[in-house]
Amino acid sequence: MATTLRRLAFYSSGLLVMCIAGLPVIGLTLGLWPPVELSWHDVSRFVEYNGLTTSILNSLFLSLAAPVIAWYVAFLVYSQYRFSPAWQSLEKRLSPLLSLPHLAVALGLVYLFSSGGLLWNSIAVPEWLSLPRKSLLTMMLALTIKEVPFFLLIFGALGRQLPIKSWLLQGRALGHSEAASWWLLVFPALLKQSRLALLAAMAYCLSVLDISLLVGPNIPQLYAVVLYHWQTGFSAIEQSQAFIANLVLLLLLGVLVAAIYLHEWLAVKRIHYHGVMAHRLKMASLGRLFSYWLVSFSVLSIAILVTFFLWSVGWNSQSHISSADLSFTLWQAEWFFMQTPLFNSLVIGLISSGVGVGVSLLALELQQQKQTYLPDYLWLMAILLPQLSMVYGWQIAHTAFSGGYGMSWVVLAHVPFTFAYSYLVLRGPFQSIDRRYELLAASFGFSYWQRWWLIRFRLLSPALLSAFAIAFSVSMAQYISTLMIGAGRVVTITTEAVAIASGNEQGITAVYILVQAVLPFMVFLIASILAHRLRGSVNVTYH
Amino acid sequence: MMWQIFSLLGLTSRSLPVLPRHVLIVLMFYVGFASAVNAQQATASQVQWQQILKQAQGQTVYFYAWGGAKPVNDYLRWASKEIASRYKIRLQHVKVADITEALSRLKAEDGGKSAIDLLWVNGENFSYLKEQNLLLGELNSRIPNTSLLANEQLPLDSDFGVPIDGFEVPWGVGQFNLIARSEVFNEATVTPSTLLAAAKQYPGRISYPRPPEFHGTTFLKQLLVALTHSDKRLYAPVTDAAQTELLPVLWAYLEQLHPLTWQQGKAFPSSNTEQLGLFQQNQLVMAVSFNPNQLFKEQSANKIPQSAQRLVFSLGAITNSHNLAIPKGAQSPEAAMVVIDFLLSEFAQTQKLTGEWGDPAVIKALVDEAATLPAQQELHSSWQQVIEALWQQRYGA
Repeated sequence: MATTLRRLAFYSSGLLVMCIAGLPVIGLTLGLWPPVELSWHDVSRFVEYNGLTTSILNSLFLSLAAPVIAWYVAFLVYSQYRFSPAWQSLEKRLSPLLSLPHLAVALGLVYLFSSGGLLWNSIAVPEWLSLPRKSLLTMMLALTIKEVPFFLLIFGALGRQLPIKSWLLQGRALGHSEAASWWLLVFPALLKQSRLALLAAMAYCLSVLDISLLVGPNIPQLYAVVLYHWQTGFSAIEQSQAFIANLVLLLLLGVLVAAIYLHEWLAVKRIHYHGVMAHRLKMASLGRLFSYWLVSFSVLSIAILVTFFLWSVGWNSQSHISSADLSFTLWQAEWFFMQTPLFNSLVIGLISSGVGVGVSLLALELQQQKQTYLPDYLWLMAILLPQLSMVYGWQIAHTAFSGGYGMSWVVLAHVPFTFAYSYLVLRGPFQSIDRRYELLAASFGFSYWQRWWLIRFRLLSPALLSAFAIAFSVSMAQYISTLMIGAGRVVTITTEAVAIASGNEQGITAVYILVQAVLPFMVFLIASILAHRLRGSVNVTYH
Repeated sequence: MMWQIFSLLGLTSRSLPVLPRHVLIVLMFYVGFASAVNAQQATASQVQWQQILKQAQGQTVYFYAWGGAKPVNDYLRWASKEIASRYKIRLQHVKVADITEALSRLKAEDGGKSAIDLLWVNGENFSYLKEQNLLLGELNSRIPNTSLLANEQLPLDSDFGVPIDGFEVPWGVGQFNLIARSEVFNEATVTPSTLLAAAKQYPGRISYPRPPEFHGTTFLKQLLVALTHSDKRLYAPVTDAAQTELLPVLWAYLEQLHPLTWQQGKAFPSSNTEQLGLFQQNQLVMAVSFNPNQLFKEQSANKIPQSAQRLVFSLGAITNSHNLAIPKGAQSPEAAMVVIDFLLSEFAQTQKLTGEWGDPAVIKALVDEAATLPAQQELHSSWQQVIEALWQQRYGA
C-alpha cells in the first residue's frame, strides 16, 4: 500500500512538473505558425533584409559579452567580499538594483552619463568621454551593470552549499595565494553550477525589447527590434517574416547554449593548464580592484534612485537647482490609482513564486530520486523560447477553453517563468548539498520525509529564499503575459508602468518605476536578512 | 414620389408652370410629409437609442488604448467619472504600450467572444481589422452624436487612405507639426531647404523618428510632398513609374541631410516621444508631433523653453484622424456605443480640446478654422510601405 501510494505521488508530481515545464512548449507550438504558407520567396526576402547580418551579429555579441563580463565581474567581486565582514551589507545593498527594472538602469545611466546629462552638465567633461545615447556600448554597459547583482545573488545562494573555505585552505596548503586559489579551485565549480543563470541572462539580452529601443543601436536595429516590428505588423508578408525570424531566434539560442559549454570548457582548460604548470595567475591580481566595487556600486544605485526621485517630483531640464519647482502632485494624484495594481501584483507575485519554487523543488527531487538529470535547457524553456509567440499561443488556448480573465489564470501564466527562474537558482545548491548529512540522519533512523524536511529543506532554506525573491521579481516584471491573459481585468503595477513608460514622459515614468521597484525591493531585502539568520550549511561546517 | 403626390392632388405636369400657387402648396405639402417621415425615422432611431442606453446600464467597457501619455490617461479618468454618473457604465481604460497588443488578442480570439469592448486605433491597424472583418459596422447610423462630426471641414471619411465605412468613429485629429527652438527657423513654415539650412547651422541637433515609426514616416511624406510640389501621383496607388520618378529626389535630399543630423544619421530616436525628450534635454533643437497643441501644453507644463515655436511644412500639415472602434465580439457593445456617443459630445470634446491633452475636436461646433493648421492631404496608403521599405534598404543599416 505504502509503495503504491508513494508511486502514485511520484507519478502525479511528475505529471505536475511536466505540465508546468511543458507549458512554454505548448504555447510556442500553438503560437508560432504563420497564417499563410511559406515560400522560398519569403526566405529570400528575409535574408535580403538590409542590415540583417549586422543585426544578428550585434545581438549575438551583446548577449554573449554582457552576461559573460557581468559573470566575471561578479566572480571577482564575490571573491573579494565573500569572507569579508562587508558581505552582509553587500547582499543587502544589492536589493535596490536587483529590484529596479532593466529599463530604469538604462534610463538612469544615459541620463547621468551621456552628454547633456545631469553629471556631464554640472562638471565640464569632454564630449568624447560621455556615453553615447544609442550604441552597442551603452546597451552593453546597462545590461552588464544590471546583471552583476543577479549573478552575485546566484553566487550567494550557491556559495552556501560549496565548501569554498576548505578549498581555499587546501589551496593555501598547496602554496597558492588566496586570489589564485579562487581561480584554480572555486572558479570551475561556480562556473559549472551557475551555467543556467548565465544562459538565462543571455536569453534575456537576446530578446529584450524596451532597452533595445531606448539605448540600443538602431542603424541597423538589434535583432529583437526587427523581430518585434515583423511580429506586430499584421500583413501576410510580415507574419511570414516573423515566423522565419522566430526560427532564427531559436537557432541563435542554440548558438548561445553551445557558446556557454564552449566557454566553460575553454576557461576550465586554461585554469587547469595554469594549475598544472604552476604559472603565476596574472588575473589574480585583478581582484584587488574589485574591492572598491561595493562603494562605486552603492553610489551608482543611489544616483539612479535620486535621479528618478527628482524626476518624480517634477525636476526637468528646464529646472534650475536654485529655483526648482518641486512638488509631490504626481505622487498624490497617482497614489489612488496605484493601490489596486500594487495589491494585485503582490498577490500574484506571492502565489506564483511560491508555486514556482515548490514545483522546481519537486522537479529537482524527482530527478534526484531517478538519479538522472534532464538537460538544463529543457527546464528553462520559459526563459529561452520567444516570449511573444509563446504567450500568443497561451492566449489562443485560453480563448479556446473560454477561460475567464481572473487572477488564477494570470498566476498560471506566471508560473512557468517563476518556475524556470527558481529552478535555475536552486539547481546548483540542491545538487551541491553534502549527502553525508542525510546519510547520517538515516543512520539515526530518521524517515525519508523527516530527513527531507529536517536536513535538506533546512540546508536549502537560504537558497530557497533567494529563489523566491528572484521568482517574485520575475513575476512582478511580467507585462505581456499579464496583459494577454488578464485582458485588462487584472491590472498590475507593471502593466501600468510599462504602458506609461512607453510614452517617455519623465515624471510619471519615474513615479511608476519607483513604485514598481518597491515590492521586489522589500522581498529581496527580507530574503537577504532572513538568509543570514538561516545561514544554511555555512553555519554547520565551513564557517 | 413627387409625381405620386401630384397625381393624388389631381394635378398634371402641364398645370405646374402656370400655377405657381399650386406648386407652392404642393411643395409645402411635400415638405410636411417628408418631415413627418423623417420624424418617424427619428423616433424609431431614438427608441432604438433609448433601448441601447437601457441595455448599456451596468455594463463595463474595457477600452484598450495606448497608455503612454499622462494627459490622455487623465482625460480618460475624467471621462470614466462622467460616464459612470451619467449612464451607470464603468469605463475601464486598459493601458497598453502598443495597440498591436490589442490586435494580437483580436487575432487570437478570431472573431469570437472578445475581451475588448472598445479600442483606439488608426492607420494600418484599422486597415487590418477592417480587412479581417473583426470590427462592428454601421457605427454611424447607430450612434446619434456621429451626426455632429465635422465631415465637411476635416478629412474624416478615410483613415490613411482606407475608407472608414462606419467601422470606426473619429475621436480626434492629428496634424503633423514641428516644435523647434525659436532661433532655428526664421519663418513660420518649413521647406526642405530651410530645414537643410537649419541642419547646417545646428549640425547634429536635428533628427526624426526612425521609420517605420509613423511620425518618422510622416516626416518623410511631408518632405516628399514638398520636394515633388505635391505631385498628383502621390495620392493614387503607387506605380513603378511614379516610384522611379518621384522618390529619387527624396533620397537625394536625405543624402544631404543625414550627415548633418543627430549622430550623423547613425542613430535615430525610436519614437516621437523619445525625440521630444531629447528636445527637452536640449540635445536636439527640433521635435515632431501630431498634436497641434502639443507646443502650448509642453510650455505650460514648463517642460520646454517658452520661446519654442510650432511650425508646419509650407504645403500644409498632413492631417488625419485617430479613431474609436468596437470589435465584433465585444461583450458590451451597447455600452461601448454609449461611450463613443459621450466622447463625441460637445461637453467631452471641449474638455479634450481645452484640457491638459489639447487634442483638436472633430465636431462641427468646435472646429475652429482659425486654429486648424493648413491641412495637407494624406498620401495614398500604398506609398507608406514603399517609403518605409526603401528607406530601410537605403539607410537602415
